[in-house]
Amino acid sequence: MDPAEIIQEKFVSRLRSGDLAGHASTLTPEEVGLNGPQLVELFHSQALSRRLDQISRTLQKRGESFYTIASAGHEGNAAIAEAFRLDDMAFLHYRDAAFQIHRAKRLPGETPTWDLLLGFAASAEDPIAGGRHKVIGSRALNIPPQTSTIASHLPKAMGAAFSIGLARRLRLVDAPLADDSVILCSFGDASANHSTTQGAINTTLWAAHQKLPMPIVFICEDNGIGISVRTPRGWIEAGFANRPGLRYIKCDGLDVLDTHRAALEAQAYARDHQMPVFLHMTCARLYGHAGSDVEASYMSKGQIARTQARDPLLHTAATLIDTGIMTADEVLRLHEDVERTVARVAERAITRPKLETTEEVTRSLIPVPRAVPPANEPVPEERARIFGGDAAQMEKPQHMARLLNWALTDLMLEHKNIVLAGEDIGVKGGVYGVTQKLHQRFGPNRAIDTLLDEQSILGLAIGLAHNGMLAIPEIQFLAYIHNAEDQLRGEAATLSFFSNRQYANPMVIRIPGLGYQKGFGGHFHNDNSLAVFRDIPGVVMACPSNGRDAVGLLRECVRLALEEQRVVVFIEPIALYMTRDLHDEKDGLWTFPYDGPGAAQPIPLGAVHCHGKGEDLAIVTYGNGFYLSRQAEKILKDQYGLNIRIIDMRWLAPLPGDAILEAVGSCTRVLIVDECRITGSQSEALMALFAERAPEIRAERLAAEDCFIPLGRAATLPLPSRDGIVARVIGMAGAKGQ
Amino acid sequence: MTAGRKTALVVCPGRGSYNKPELGYLGRFHRNKTAFLEQVDGLRKSSGQPTVTELDSRTRYSHAEFSRGDNASLLIFACSYADFLSIDAEKYEVVAVTGNSMGWYTALACGGALAPEHAINVVNSMGNLTHKHLIGAQTLFSLVDEDWRPIPGRRAELMAIMDEINAQEPETLFISIELGGVLVFAGSDQAVDTLIARGPKGPGALPMKLQNHAAFHSPFMRQTSQEAKATLPSDWLRDPAIPMIDGRGQIWRPHATDAQSLWDYTFGTQVVETYDFTTAMRVAMREFAPDCVITLGPGDALGGPVAQCLIALEGYGFESKAGFAELQKDAPVVLSMGREAQREMTVKKDNSP
Repeated sequence: MDPAEIIQEKFVSRLRSGDLAGHASTLTPEEVGLNGPQLVELFHSQALSRRLDQISRTLQKRGESFYTIASAGHEGNAAIAEAFRLDDMAFLHYRDAAFQIHRAKRLPGETPTWDLLLGFAASAEDPIAGGRHKVIGSRALNIPPQTSTIASHLPKAMGAAFSIGLARRLRLVDAPLADDSVILCSFGDASANHSTTQGAINTTLWAAHQKLPMPIVFICEDNGIGISVRTPRGWIEAGFANRPGLRYIKCDGLDVLDTHRAALEAQAYARDHQMPVFLHMTCARLYGHAGSDVEASYMSKGQIARTQARDPLLHTAATLIDTGIMTADEVLRLHEDVERTVARVAERAITRPKLETTEEVTRSLIPVPRAVPPANEPVPEERARIFGGDAAQMEKPQHMARLLNWALTDLMLEHKNIVLAGEDIGVKGGVYGVTQKLHQRFGPNRAIDTLLDEQSILGLAIGLAHNGMLAIPEIQFLAYIHNAEDQLRGEAATLSFFSNRQYANPMVIRIPGLGYQKGFGGHFHNDNSLAVFRDIPGVVMACPSNGRDAVGLLRECVRLALEEQRVVVFIEPIALYMTRDLHDEKDGLWTFPYDGPGAAQPIPLGAVHCHGKGEDLAIVTYGNGFYLSRQAEKILKDQYGLNIRIIDMRWLAPLPGDAILEAVGSCTRVLIVDECRITGSQSEALMALFAERAPEIRAERLAAEDCFIPLGRAATLPLPSRDGIVARVIGMAGAKGQ
Repeated sequence: MTAGRKTALVVCPGRGSYNKPELGYLGRFHRNKTAFLEQVDGLRKSSGQPTVTELDSRTRYSHAEFSRGDNASLLIFACSYADFLSIDAEKYEVVAVTGNSMGWYTALACGGALAPEHAINVVNSMGNLTHKHLIGAQTLFSLVDEDWRPIPGRRAELMAIMDEINAQEPETLFISIELGGVLVFAGSDQAVDTLIARGPKGPGALPMKLQNHAAFHSPFMRQTSQEAKATLPSDWLRDPAIPMIDGRGQIWRPHATDAQSLWDYTFGTQVVETYDFTTAMRVAMREFAPDCVITLGPGDALGGPVAQCLIALEGYGFESKAGFAELQKDAPVVLSMGREAQREMTVKKDNSP
């Protein structure tokens, strides 16, 4: 028999028989600040959540519902919704339907039954995800949608909490989050073990330890099991009850009054002290993990029965009856009314339109552009003061690191909501000096030295975006993105998609990387794979090959984030940071003058650069590959009489296919020079581009070996080289000789 | 509960529902509700006002007399509530009630949050107060064409004019009621006249300034609200028996209704802020999914707005006035008790007057 039916029958029979001993709360509604009607409304939210869980299972059998992970047993979280304000942003996990339902009751005009059913039915009219996923979420209710099953939303909740005090310190007007609001995030006991939870809480405490405001409540809904693995008894308490700076509050999630008591205490502490709280709500998982989960395969009959007896609805009903607010018959009638109402609404909701075309599905990948206030006009005196001694050097050509530093300075002057964050980017000014002096120019609130946790850095960026700031986080080395990639892949990149463009988290992630660092090899500082970014829908990736482009591209990346709310990855080739010369020592050909505000030429998204007009062959490349190709070009011309053109992609994602083909023009031979590992590199997409759209062109590629970068002089061995390029071009085009 | 009953949303009409064709409504349909009508008339007699049965029995309809707040309100309430009592409970299960404007007071009575004797008093008092403080005016504009299809840009055009008027003289014009395909404005006489002069015309006779209507559901009604709060006992409101959806789309459920909050809303927010009937209908249809909508009489002024709301919600089998009329012929989804044929479908057969 379906557990939903067993639990339903038990509820009804116990109410009918009056067998409710020990179920009523030992607290009274008045003791926890509730009156009778409020308690009934809480019960209604719980009963509605439960009934929605039930009907999603029956609808699934009819092929009308596509989601059966239930909130059953967790409905105590309705009392948490009751205790917090509507404008307390809540990042909720997937068993929090009762929270959303109850919060919806605070905003007249909301239709939670209808909305959640549209979500189950994957209707295009689902008001949060538009049929793309069943998520708990609502723009109107300040619940950004989560698809997370692994607490990957906790780092951004931490970031949002941090943003509240930061907005105050930066005196930002119009920050979306109220100055006295609190951030909520919920997760299960199994997810509490995940690095995202551990990292988010650690980062929260790290900040709070420094007396920075961190108004956040971590809600651990502890049902004692993660799919089939039991959480050791007392593990959550042991892990979180005694953390420095973390207020630990425990409640019985079966008892809605006790939960409300604890939630009130949590919200008062977090709001008044701007300090983090760990709200440990014990509860039960009544319907198994999901619809297809057979609990009997890992739990004994006795265990299953004991779990099913732990029904929060039974406890709330007992309390209502015990306090004389309702009779058992009235409770049963309410329960039955909910059942009948949900059945009617469901029949109507499942008839609503579904997503029908690919275009409809993909429409929400890219956020809605927004109107942004005009940038601050640079005041010459202020600019001069901020730049200090650097101003005198601006007339001379500079290397990329210096130019990026100046571009960042100007962008921060122009946009007061830009915040930089990363490991060592503040006082030290970055490992390579790119953020040098920004800390002293703009202070520690705009050039934030973070702790060593990339998940937290990206989570911080997302959280700041939720509060109207534009984060430019730095991942210190490309190789370090991998332990945090889900913050980009699963969270930042998906927000627009799963919110049907109602939420966005614009940011520009700066990532120094790629190979060719002189005298300093080793994989972790020379990682040469960008595959991790290439396949993420909607993400923009830029990579400059020279300082002038770096400025133009960075400015466009910031514009894309500010105005179009895009998530942008900006890859900075470390080897080119300090490179000054192209062909000969001291030729200075790889230094460029600084194009300040007004003078900087924008490099629009998708605009490639074509160097030369040679017809013998076109090289398509980017980053270090462009630099090496330029060196090769001279040799090819001087020594072999070949005239080639070199196309710098600049934008790696989305692939600027049209622009590349146009730049290749009438060349019939194309060599793709890709410094990334051949498997998964851009060269794959480029080969496909030529094969599919220009099959008459003979395209070959020279890419890095599928190998990690070794140390010392061997570091460049697996990488394309100038001489390697020369050889391949000759191989393809033949030497004309001179 | 009786098996096989249809579920219904009951919608209570507002002011302007009792017009010439409705003269004699109580006499035609509700002569059997003696006790209730005696209660209504008793209050009118004690306050020296013409009774509703007197008004209803007039041989001639005088708009000037019938549209006055102190006459229209209770007359409409009496007809509506009597209609509600006539619904055949064996055929229809009322799963929620809502109303438009003063129909909210009727909804409170139908929902059980106001005992009939108190409802009579509330309606008459509010009618008297609005007549006494006849401040400002109300006007209607259509947002839809003759066939109830949205007129592109119409709302934005009206909002722009409203902004202009308020820019010249702040806080003089407000949205009074969101009424399906109709947008009702409230404001000073001058502001309303200006809006009518500058605003788009049609379809039909719209825009129309409503005679004897004040600037309902706007800050102009603050004094009315204050006097209502000062004079009407706060313990009259009670827990409803049927869920009620208010003019913001808030649901007031049985056992879960705080009487004080309901009182604050009814005589505060509801009086001085926009009444969003469109949202109330959306919430009712989506959260309760009734099989049909029963609009109480008198008249059928709400039939159009209700149908327009359903068109906007989609999924009810019609997209226009013509489509609605077609559907209504065979399987009506909106049953107007002010329409003879549909009325017959809703009332008990033995409910002879």
